[in-house]
Amino acid sequence: MRLSIDHIVPIPMKDKINEYNSRVWNQQLQFNSGEKLFIQAPSGTGKTTLVHFLYGLRKDYEGSIRWGSFKMQDIDNEQLSQLRAASISVIFQDMRLFPELTTWENLEVKRRLTNTVSEYDAEKWMDKLGIKHKMDSPASKLSYGEQQRVAIVRAMLQPFEWLVMDEPFSHLDHANRQRAIALINEVAEMNKAGILLADLDDNDYFTYTRKLLL
Amino acid sequence: MKPLKQSKLVSKLLLRHRSNNRLWLSLVALFAGTTLLLIAVMIWWNFSLILNGSANNDSLGSTFLTVGKNVTNETMGKKNATLFAPREIEAVNAAPQVEDVGVLIANKFPVYASLSIAQGFATDMFLEAVPERFMDNKPFGWMWEPGNTQVPIILSSDFLNMYNYGFAPSQNLPQLSQSTIQALAFDLTIGRGIYVEHYTGRVVGFSDRISSVLVPQSFIEYGNKTFAPTTPIAPSRLIVKVKDPSDKRFADFLKKNDYTTNSEQLRWNKMRSVIEAVASGTGLLAILLMGIGTLVFILFIELTIAKAKQSLSLLLLMGYSPRYLAMFMLRRFVPLIFVSLGMAAIIAIVLQGIAAKKLIAMNLTLPDLPGMWVWAALIVSAVALLIFVSRAIFNSLRGSE
Repeated sequence: MRLSIDHIVPIPMKDKINEYNSRVWNQQLQFNSGEKLFIQAPSGTGKTTLVHFLYGLRKDYEGSIRWGSFKMQDIDNEQLSQLRAASISVIFQDMRLFPELTTWENLEVKRRLTNTVSEYDAEKWMDKLGIKHKMDSPASKLSYGEQQRVAIVRAMLQPFEWLVMDEPFSHLDHANRQRAIALINEVAEMNKAGILLADLDDNDYFTYTRKLLL
Repeated sequence: MKPLKQSKLVSKLLLRHRSNNRLWLSLVALFAGTTLLLIAVMIWWNFSLILNGSANNDSLGSTFLTVGKNVTNETMGKKNATLFAPREIEAVNAAPQVEDVGVLIANKFPVYASLSIAQGFATDMFLEAVPERFMDNKPFGWMWEPGNTQVPIILSSDFLNMYNYGFAPSQNLPQLSQSTIQALAFDLTIGRGIYVEHYTGRVVGFSDRISSVLVPQSFIEYGNKTFAPTTPIAPSRLIVKVKDPSDKRFADFLKKNDYTTNSEQLRWNKMRSVIEAVASGTGLLAILLMGIGTLVFILFIELTIAKAKQSLSLLLLMGYSPRYLAMFMLRRFVPLIFVSLGMAAIIAIVLQGIAAKKLIAMNLTLPDLPGMWVWAALIVSAVALLIFVSRAIFNSLRGSE
C-alpha cells in the first residue's frame, strides 16, 4: 500500500511552517510499500501532529493524505476502523494503554480484534521484551518503560502494511531498545510492511530508505 | 495463558461504570408500562368482543333489536300512528351501525286458537312474521304454502317463561316444558263470520330474539290478502340487525326519533363509555410509564457510554469499528428490554385466561388467549423501543469519536 502525502499543512501551524524549510509539510511525497522512513522532527515542528494526521485522528489540515486508495479526509468511520485494524499499526508517544486492564488484557483487546497472531507468539514477544512477568499487573501500575514495551508488543498483534511510530523508544534503555528494534524488524519483515518512525534526533535504529526533516 | 473473550474485555471496558439501579428502575418502568398497555388493549378488545356479539354472547351482544315507535298519550288515539312509513324504514336502514332492517308484519285478520284436548283453553291471538334471515334458528318444517293445513309457529321463550313462572303457578295449572308444547296441536281459526278457515298450529321452536308469535311470512301474507285485502300493510315493528348496539350514535338515533327497543341492550352503551374511559385512562398511564421507562433506559445507556468515553475512543483507536461497538451495546441491552416485554406478555396471557374463566360463570365466552390487537400493541411497542434505544446508542457512540 502506497502512502501519498500531497502538500499537507496543519491549519494551526500554517504561518509558522512557511518560515522554515520543511521537507514534509507542504511537499508532495510518495512512499512505496515496504519503505523504511525516518522523519526527524525537532521539538515544536509538529511530529505528533503528523502522526495523528496519518492515523486519521485529526483532520485540521490542508492538502491530502492517501493510504492506497483511501483518502484520509473522506474516509468514513467503518473504513477507518478497517484500515486501523488490518493495515496500519501505530505506536504512540503516550502509549495509550487501558489503565484498568492488565498487561495481558491490553494485548488481548488488540489480538482478539483480528485473531491473526497466535497467543503463543504474543507470549513469546512479551518474553523477548522482558515484560512477561508483568502479564497480570494492571497497566496503570507499570513503569513508563514497561508501558512502552507493552505498546510495542500490542502494535505487533495485528496484520499491518505500515507501522507508524512516534518516539517509540523514548523510555527504553539501550538493551531494551535493541530488543524492541529486533522484534519490530522481525514482525515487519513477516508482514512485508513499511516503517515510518518519527523522532526528535537522528538515529539508525532501522536501515532507513529515506530520512526527511520535518 | 488463559484465553480472554473479546466481548468480556469490551464489556469490562465499556460497562464497568454502569449504574445498575438506573437499569433496574427503567426496566421495571418498562415492564409496568407495557403490562398496563396490554391490559388497556385487552379491556378494550374483550369488551368489543362482548358488545359486538361475537363469540356466542347473544344475551348481551345480540345484534338484533326490535324497534317500534313509542306509544305516547298523543299517539294513543290515532290509528296507524305507530306504523312505519317506507321513508322511515329507509332512515333506520341508514342509521349508524345498522346493517339490515326487516319488517315485522302482523295479521290484519282475527285469529282464534284453541286446544282440543284441553276444553276451555281458547284465546284470541295475534301472529307476526319476519323475513327468515332475521330468525335466530329456523326449525325443521318452517314453511307454509296455500293449501297446507299445518302452520308452524315459533314462540318467544319469554311467553313460555311468563306462563311457567307467572301464570301457571297462580292459576294452579301445570308447568309446560318446551318439548311438551311442541307436542301439542292447536286449532287455529282465522277469519270472521262465515268466512273462516281452520288450520292446525304446531309450535316448532322458540326464539330468544323476537318477542312475538311467529308464523311463516307466506301465511301472514295469504291471510291478509284473503281476509283484509283493503287494509294497508305497514309494519308496526322493525327488526334491525345492528353491528354494535352499544354505539352511542345508534342510541341517539333511536332517542331522536322516539323509537323504543329492548332497552336492555342499549344499556351497554353507558357501560361502554365507562369501559372506554377506563381503557383510555389505563392506556394513557401506560404510555406515560413506558415513556418514562424508555427515557430512563436511554439516559442509562447514554450515561454508561459517556462514563466509558475514554475506553471507547481508545477502542476506536485500536481499530474497533463503531458498528461493532454499537452492536455490542445492543446485544447487551436489547435482551433486557425483551425480557421485560416478555414478562408483560406472560401477565397478559394469564389475565386473559383468568378473565375467560371468570366470565364463563356469567355465561359469556371470551378467548383463552389475548387476540391480535394485544400482540399488535406489544409488537409496536417493541419496535418503537428498539428504534429509540438503537438510535440512542448509535448517536452517543458517534459523539464519542
